[in-house]
Amino acid sequence: MNTNLVIGPVMIPLATAIILIIFHRRMLAQKIISIISVSFALLYACYLLYRASDGTILLFYASNWVPPFGIAMVIDMLSALMVTASGILGFVCMIYSLSTMDEGRLRNFYLPLYQMFFVGINGSLITGDIFNLFVFFEIMLMSSYVLLVLGSERGQLREGFKYLIINIVSSSFFLVALGVVYSLAGTMNMADLAVKLPQAPNQGLVTMSAMLFLLVFGVKAAIFPLYFWLPNSYHQPPPAISAIFGGLLTKVGVYVLIRIFTLIFIGDVEFTHSILFVLGVLTMFFGVIITISQTDFRMILSYHIISQVGYMVMGLGMFSVLAVAGAIFHMLHNIIVKTGLFLASGITQEVTGTTDLHKMGGLLHRYPWLGWTFFVTAMALAGVPPLSGFFSKFMLIQAGAELGNYYSIAAVLGVGFLTLFSMIKIFLYAFWGEEKPVPERPDFDYKKIMPACLLLCGIAVCMGLGASYVCDFVLLAAEQLMNPQLYIDTVLFAAI
Amino acid sequence: MLLFAVLAPFVFALLLIVLAKPIGNKIGYFALPIPVMVFVYFLLQIPSAAREHYPIYFASWVPQMGINLSLSLDGLSLLFALLISGIGSLVFWYSITYLDAKERLANFYIFMLIFMGSMLGVVTANNLLIIYLFWELTSLSSFLLIGFWYDKERSRYGAQKALLITVLGGFATLAAFGLIGQIAGSYELSDVIAKAALIKNSPLYPGIVILVLLGAFTKSAQYPFHIWLPDAMEAPTPVSCYLHSATMVKAGIYLVARMTPILGSTMLWVLLISIVGSVTLFWGGYMALKQKDLKAVLAYSTVSQLGLVIALFGYGSEAAVFAAVFHLLNHSVFKGSLFLVTGMVDHATGTRDITKLRGLSKAMPITATLALFGTFAMAGLPPFNGFLSKELFFASSLETINSSFALGIWSWAFPVLAVIGSIFTFIYCMMIFFRVFRGGPIPDDLPHHPHEPAKGMLIPTALLASMTLVIAFFPNLFAKWLLAPAAKAVSGSLPQIHISFWHGLNMPLLMSAIVIGIGCLLYWRLDKIRIFLAAMPGRPSANHFYDWLIPGGALVRFGGRVGKTHMNGSLRDYLVYILCFFMLLFWGTVIYKDIFIVRFDNLAPIGAFEITWFVLVVTAIFTLVSSKKRVAGLFALSAIGYSVSFFFVLFRAPDLTLTQLLVETVSLVLFFLSFKYLPKDLISSQLSKKYKLFNALISIAVGFSVTCACLIAHSNKFYEPISDYYVASSKILAGGNNIVNVILVDFRGLDTLGEISVIVIAAIGVSALISLGKKHLFKEDNKDE
Repeated sequence: MNTNLVIGPVMIPLATAIILIIFHRRMLAQKIISIISVSFALLYACYLLYRASDGTILLFYASNWVPPFGIAMVIDMLSALMVTASGILGFVCMIYSLSTMDEGRLRNFYLPLYQMFFVGINGSLITGDIFNLFVFFEIMLMSSYVLLVLGSERGQLREGFKYLIINIVSSSFFLVALGVVYSLAGTMNMADLAVKLPQAPNQGLVTMSAMLFLLVFGVKAAIFPLYFWLPNSYHQPPPAISAIFGGLLTKVGVYVLIRIFTLIFIGDVEFTHSILFVLGVLTMFFGVIITISQTDFRMILSYHIISQVGYMVMGLGMFSVLAVAGAIFHMLHNIIVKTGLFLASGITQEVTGTTDLHKMGGLLHRYPWLGWTFFVTAMALAGVPPLSGFFSKFMLIQAGAELGNYYSIAAVLGVGFLTLFSMIKIFLYAFWGEEKPVPERPDFDYKKIMPACLLLCGIAVCMGLGASYVCDFVLLAAEQLMNPQLYIDTVLFAAI
Repeated sequence: MLLFAVLAPFVFALLLIVLAKPIGNKIGYFALPIPVMVFVYFLLQIPSAAREHYPIYFASWVPQMGINLSLSLDGLSLLFALLISGIGSLVFWYSITYLDAKERLANFYIFMLIFMGSMLGVVTANNLLIIYLFWELTSLSSFLLIGFWYDKERSRYGAQKALLITVLGGFATLAAFGLIGQIAGSYELSDVIAKAALIKNSPLYPGIVILVLLGAFTKSAQYPFHIWLPDAMEAPTPVSCYLHSATMVKAGIYLVARMTPILGSTMLWVLLISIVGSVTLFWGGYMALKQKDLKAVLAYSTVSQLGLVIALFGYGSEAAVFAAVFHLLNHSVFKGSLFLVTGMVDHATGTRDITKLRGLSKAMPITATLALFGTFAMAGLPPFNGFLSKELFFASSLETINSSFALGIWSWAFPVLAVIGSIFTFIYCMMIFFRVFRGGPIPDDLPHHPHEPAKGMLIPTALLASMTLVIAFFPNLFAKWLLAPAAKAVSGSLPQIHISFWHGLNMPLLMSAIVIGIGCLLYWRLDKIRIFLAAMPGRPSANHFYDWLIPGGALVRFGGRVGKTHMNGSLRDYLVYILCFFMLLFWGTVIYKDIFIVRFDNLAPIGAFEITWFVLVVTAIFTLVSSKKRVAGLFALSAIGYSVSFFFVLFRAPDLTLTQLLVETVSLVLFFLSFKYLPKDLISSQLSKKYKLFNALISIAVGFSVTCACLIAHSNKFYEPISDYYVASSKILAGGNNIVNVILVDFRGLDTLGEISVIVIAAIGVSALISLGKKHLFKEDNKDE
């Protein structure tokens, strides 16, 4: 269905960013505009989700150039879900940012950059053109570079530099891959690629270009063995920034992997998806095994991002409706829960002045809200029922049983067990144990910065108790993905 | 109603979170009515369950995954539900006095309620996944309760151990349930039971059995997974009584019982369960005798008794199942009351060390009487209930010799292990009673002066302990209304068993006599035996493995080693890994798919001009990588950039040439502006030859790979490119002669908008970096000057 609604998720933050730059000396005005904007973006995303939930695919042709010649923006169920998740995160992290971010960063364009970051994220989620994806990736990456080093602290600059270089290398490969694909198929529109590439006379060449894209988006998604940039760079910036990065950045990579490996590169599933499956499982294990050796709150969470990404890539590699649905469910669950945990780590850091687990203890006694919110969110991550993580993991188990892929069941449960172990470790060190002195901070009330964290914890609980609704969404999304003809027909032939 | 009975504890737990502050330390009185009401509700269900009119509840929850909130209360569920709510009521009552008002009472009662609700959920659930759901919640609430005094190191150790081991089993069960659901097409118990034959014939059957039993054995503390139970004794005593002897540890037994109609009566099932159960019975009894702490004795005794019940379920005959259910009830009663007694002794004397406690019956006569009930019942002495179920146990162990799964002569091991295990039980029971409560005057060195405990603890204990006699005197009443319906749910038929103290002279009676005879004989030499036992090893024990793996840090060290191998913080190494992975993916595909198809006929001709510029670029590159001074490197870098721009001239792209020249010039200027902040020498001059050579090899290989990728792609154009459309329609449709401009601002205007945004962000970033960086960055430089 052709509608201008589609471009909203990009235009709202873009317009807001421009307005914020105009008001860059008026902090109060900036804060008010930001909060209005993120609330509106969230409602807007919910409306899009509602519109997409009956299975229609929403379309927008930029400047009305029909594909494959112009740029098409497409919102199907998966995009709608992801845009909604990004809307929730944009809202929650804004609340948290406004209550914790220091004056220096706020005065130096933190809020406009925040909006630009979401321009990049949302653009990547809704674009139907693979070159346009590159552009939105650049927006997302450029804002993430700046957000990462904003503050110019020593560690930020050191890790920011590594992050920058690795991503520039990966962007170069992105260009190479685009060139290769353009040469093979002569088009950049994803739906058009989906028509042309599977019919190409030599599928080996298509597989070769698929591998190039796997490399590019593998770096973004932080899969094995491309995740080097992630743990330290997420460790450095203020918690609010780590939280949006941890929640969204890698997931956009996963989203694109899911998109291209269900739409475009499905000519040689035997080969490509087996690689995805193996890489997914390796990512899960490597991520979690390194996690358990960490003793830093945020490092544990950072490494967990990697292992959780593994679940999604594994689900994609299994390539059935149920498995892909499980991967999407897990992605949504993770966006919420991971961000919640990063915020909890941020609050812990505010309270104790450290992220080193050995330097904290007994926080549960004086900060019960923080402790229990963390506990519930961490259990959701570990997949304890009836919280969100259980259902996403069980969907993957069901898919494994259905396909007779017992390795996947073992991987899901084995890694789930180690995840639980590391979450319990945080709980034991930080919240249990003997109380250790914390820096005195008069007129500091930790409950004032709790709402964002509580909200995400609440969503994780609701996604579990109301798993049936989430299931409807993700199953619909997975069915659309596994039958790409609908997407292709809508995008290419709606105008005719 | 059934749903409400199960959910009531959760609802009230939520209420207590809100009400905890206003109620204060009277919170126990508010929590107590809930188990009582639930107990009464379940009592009222006895008649309908006996008539097989089971209350059921069904609501679909996540139907897409087959997860339905479906509950049903058959005989087995009812027996467990009564134990959970009944003993729960007594424990809540007991806790009000037991726990000091200064403790975190709200936490305690909230966890206890959550636990009770979860446990009720496990036993009433009629959907495998709902069983699993509540199963995990019991593990979690057990974790929180063991760690109730979380500032103590041992509590944290015990809590973590219990959680890890039980959750490991839980995950195994989940895997099994997933497989069962796949085979049976449903997770509803009744559907799955109907498909039992299908499951048993599936090639996955052995795997399913092992996974299910892993869950059951970890939860019910069977050898070698029992190691968490003794350490769980760090919990407050009411918790040990309730969770770790009377109810939660029986969840594993419940699972075995529940799964018997689905997975049972195969060789694998019967042998695995009866062997593990018998070994545990023996080992638990042996370990119990080695302990000094009263609670540790009881913990190992629980392990042993759980082994007994498990073994009975393993034997699997109708009579054995009945005996199992009967002993399960009896064990909850006598072990529960013994734990409560221990709590009172601890409270009154301040110690639980058997070697220190003596002759308490003088100061605490009522407590001593209750202890007598409990210990004698456990030892299997008449006229207590333990005697009756133990007789049945012996009878069933004898049956195995002739059963269809005979192991030949080895099947004698079951009755022999039964007798040895019972002798151990007899000795430590006598030890608990006669050493602690009799055996001379009260020692003076006890931390507190012993006294009879308060009524609030005494009455609930007395109620529970007296049940040992009530059951013993009216066994057939219990059998008819509770035990037989419960056994029927497992074995499928209603057992016709008459329980009485006297069955005439038969083998079971002889076995009892042997147990008592040898037991007395050994007890006479108890001190020597204990010295001997203390010298005996407690191995083979999984404790060493656990302590090595988790608290000993082997797992953590392993993770650290894996991490250090590649997460070393060096950007160069990261790039090496990423680039090598690229080459692996690329060449792997090219070779495996045999697609190295390169055609040279459609390439542009290479003339002298191209070769000249190529040589220039290559020379500049080598100058760059070999230069020692930054200035030289910088010029080489610019030389590369400018040379590349001439390639654009060759390819007739003047706009790109201009852009490239502009970029190069601006970069050069910026570089020189920031020159004074950078060190003069390039780090590359300090690197070893080998290192540089390796870098060069990787770089050349990557460059070669990318070139090949482009050549391969260029040689295989399968479709007409869309650029033909732009050429054809830029004038007609977009009204512009310059195609590049039209593409940039019209056809793909959105891309241009995006790129402009990128530049704006970069500009903002530079400005923010400088203004925020002034504080730390420039100061340090000034210091150097």
